[in-house]
Amino acid sequence: MAATVESAAGITAAAVEARAAGEPAWLAERRRAAWEAFSTLPMPDHMRDEDWRRTDISKLQLDDFSVEPPDTSVSGEALIEAMRARRDEAAPDSAFMAITRRGVRACDEMDMLTAQGVIVSTLEEAARNHPELVQRAFAAVRVGESKLLALWDALWRTGVFVHVPRSVEARVPVWAAYSVAGANAAIFPATLAVLDDNASLTLVDAYASPAGDAPVLSSAAALMVLGDGARLDYHHVQQWGAGAWHFATHRAILGRNARFRMFGATLGSRLQKVYWDALLDGNGSEALLTSVCFGDGTQHLDLQSLQRHRGESAHSDLLHKVAVRDRAVSVYSGLIDVEKQAQHTDGYVQNRNLMLGDGARASGIPRLEIKANDVRCSHGVTAGHLDDDQRFYLESRGVPRAEADRLIVRGFMQNALDRAPHAGVRDLVARLLDAEIHGESQAGIEAPQDEAL
Amino acid sequence: MAVEAHELTKDYKYGFHDVDVSVFRTEKGLSPEVVAAISQHKNEPEWMLKFRLKALQHFEKRAMPTWGADLSGIDFNNIYYYVKPIEEQAGRDWDDVPESIKQTFDKLGIPEAERKFLAGVSAQYDSEVVYHNIRADLEKLGVIFGDCDTGLRDHSEIFRKYFGTVIPPNDNKFAALNSAVWSGGSFVYVPAGVRVDIPLQAYFRINSDNMGQFERTLIIAEEGSYVHYIEGCTAPTYSSDSLHSAVVEIIAHKNAHVRYTTIQNWSNNVYNLVTKRAIAYEGATVEWIDGNLGSKITMKYPAIYLMGERAHGEVLSAAFAGEGQHQDAGAKCVHVAPHTTSNIVSRSISKDGGRTSYRGHIKVYPKAHDVKVSVRCDALLLDEASQSDTYPYSDIENSDVTFGHEATVSKIGEDQIFYLTSRGIPEAEATALIVNGFFEPFVKELPMEYAVELNRLLAVQMEGSVG
Repeated sequence: MAATVESAAGITAAAVEARAAGEPAWLAERRRAAWEAFSTLPMPDHMRDEDWRRTDISKLQLDDFSVEPPDTSVSGEALIEAMRARRDEAAPDSAFMAITRRGVRACDEMDMLTAQGVIVSTLEEAARNHPELVQRAFAAVRVGESKLLALWDALWRTGVFVHVPRSVEARVPVWAAYSVAGANAAIFPATLAVLDDNASLTLVDAYASPAGDAPVLSSAAALMVLGDGARLDYHHVQQWGAGAWHFATHRAILGRNARFRMFGATLGSRLQKVYWDALLDGNGSEALLTSVCFGDGTQHLDLQSLQRHRGESAHSDLLHKVAVRDRAVSVYSGLIDVEKQAQHTDGYVQNRNLMLGDGARASGIPRLEIKANDVRCSHGVTAGHLDDDQRFYLESRGVPRAEADRLIVRGFMQNALDRAPHAGVRDLVARLLDAEIHGESQAGIEAPQDEAL
Repeated sequence: MAVEAHELTKDYKYGFHDVDVSVFRTEKGLSPEVVAAISQHKNEPEWMLKFRLKALQHFEKRAMPTWGADLSGIDFNNIYYYVKPIEEQAGRDWDDVPESIKQTFDKLGIPEAERKFLAGVSAQYDSEVVYHNIRADLEKLGVIFGDCDTGLRDHSEIFRKYFGTVIPPNDNKFAALNSAVWSGGSFVYVPAGVRVDIPLQAYFRINSDNMGQFERTLIIAEEGSYVHYIEGCTAPTYSSDSLHSAVVEIIAHKNAHVRYTTIQNWSNNVYNLVTKRAIAYEGATVEWIDGNLGSKITMKYPAIYLMGERAHGEVLSAAFAGEGQHQDAGAKCVHVAPHTTSNIVSRSISKDGGRTSYRGHIKVYPKAHDVKVSVRCDALLLDEASQSDTYPYSDIENSDVTFGHEATVSKIGEDQIFYLTSRGIPEAEATALIVNGFFEPFVKELPMEYAVELNRLLAVQMEGSVG
């Protein structure tokens, strides 16, 4: 392991101050409060914290990571170009921002959106120019609600901010590509979106580092606030390399009759603990949450979801499809929390696990806490292996075993893929899944190893 | 002897209590001296005293569990841990039982059950088993059905071989407490190949204020045997809370079949914190039929460890939580061996601010292939004040598994109510009918007398509630 990183390059108070310098006072204060909370709170402990019981991060050494890129290394463009190629494949019309530890490395096709009155910029810039809007998004997180979220809150840099004004339908998607390279690199992706009443937007977060098992720390958040009647289609594709620790919170707050659709693909990282929080505050709001997850090697992939119903007659539906091979581990826990006033709630959770290897493991903990009586809430969890009947059916018709298995796994994933709001993202994820099924790990993307971004 | 039989209220029909006639009780609170006094009073062998004292240490070391129901109301220092109601233990003849205790059990209907020729009845009153009987033909086959104290004394070899092996004293805080101060409970031994074709029954009753009841039940079913054990629990309504913390251990050897039925109807001030666990060896079947109607707080998750190939586990759980009640119940199936199967069905109803929680755990170990598990939980919420939770845990470590879990929470279907009311059935009655139907999978597994009793209890609980 590398020597402990001191000074402003490490995860230190100095790094927080370096970021706070020149920022509006409210934001600098928020960073310092978050750092204070981070320093005070204990690390999550799988022996002590119920949320972390099946996810052990005792091997994580935060002191090893560097929040700044080294001055001297090659800062090539290959990784950024690979990220751009994914965007070109899936959504060529989208406004594209590529972000690394060195800041914004690309910022294209913004004109279409700005012409509509949509704000799309770095988070720093937005915090200076539109503080009240940015604060609305930050309000989704209470400073210090958890240690790792406080870490993000204290150290994020070069986030993406999007604001869609009332009744504007953003004509093209916003694609934020976060990448990092170099050993012991830490990155803090931050995507914040505010949609006014009846506005609509399609948003994509893509995360990736070079393939290989270089240690990487990703502490990410996406905070989304939807006004009454707003519609947001949010996608994220996680392709960190096999040495990455990934902690993220994807959280949306829904106004009256708002519709939030989230589609997430989990392919990368050594270990992830990701929170999906749909807070259905408005009456009649709707959250459609879909996850596809493929684990291989010794990956440990933990997803924890919350569907919190405060508004009446709201509808939430989560589908989490998991395939695990080799010695990969999937951990899912979820809660549908229906508060007293949330009558006529319709809540659903489905977690389906396909076990492809003898060493693979899957845990499922779908919880319900219901305090309103006029509701319909249910959940289902299954775990099973490749269906021999299906395999026999295909093989007896001349389909080779490998191809038969690929078809069955794809078939298993298909209904989740079909729920992806954006067809281009759906097809991209389908292609990456196909490669996974063929045995080509999609943890990380091909890029020169000597880059440091 | 005077008996104060309170009016049977609609809320709790067993809420009478007798004048306390106990002949010996330990002082309130828990200490090595109290534990030693219990052991000494029972004339126990040295190893049991050591077992108790060690368990007490475990109890003191362990923190109160905070992950489930609210247990902050328990004051361990305000409890009598041992109360002996009569001088002589376990009379074989109903006539020998003191009149006051007999009247209590009369109200509970044991003599009727006896007259119906049930296989054996033992009744526990406070800490000791006061009356116990077993049919002579079963005794001739080698079936042992007695209380655990007698088991320790008269069948020490079998007893010691199994006691505390399924649930070790350090398993959890309340198992440790029970291990330290246990008294009474049933000891059942069924020899190889013997089918006990009529249920063995036990009744547990708390009569003293601030009383803790800590019975210990140990059931051993040898190869190819069958036994069905039924327990019923009641307690009078006192102003201060009581604690019931039992431990039940079942060992089902190769191809044995054990069914354990509980109808728990403790009064609404009893903390009911019970550890129940069974081990099922090759080809064995264990069934827990678990009904929770009474108590203030119940935390109980009957478990089955499927240790041998083709073992099968079944848990059928029904819970009803009314005002001030929290039923935190569930099931746990641990698949250690290949070709094992388990099935869990849970039905719960919350009403008048009551809270039901299903908490379950399915674990499949890496070597357990060809495993099939099904879990089905349904909950009904009858009004706005009530709450229902589901916490199902599953850890699957083998790829050759078919596992399914489904849960629903809803209110009574308006179309069902409409169907019945449109045919002239009053709404209250329609609701009761639907609730009865909801519990049907549970009720149909009970022997007739219990099914009738349960339906009556449900009708009482449902009085005055409209959809």
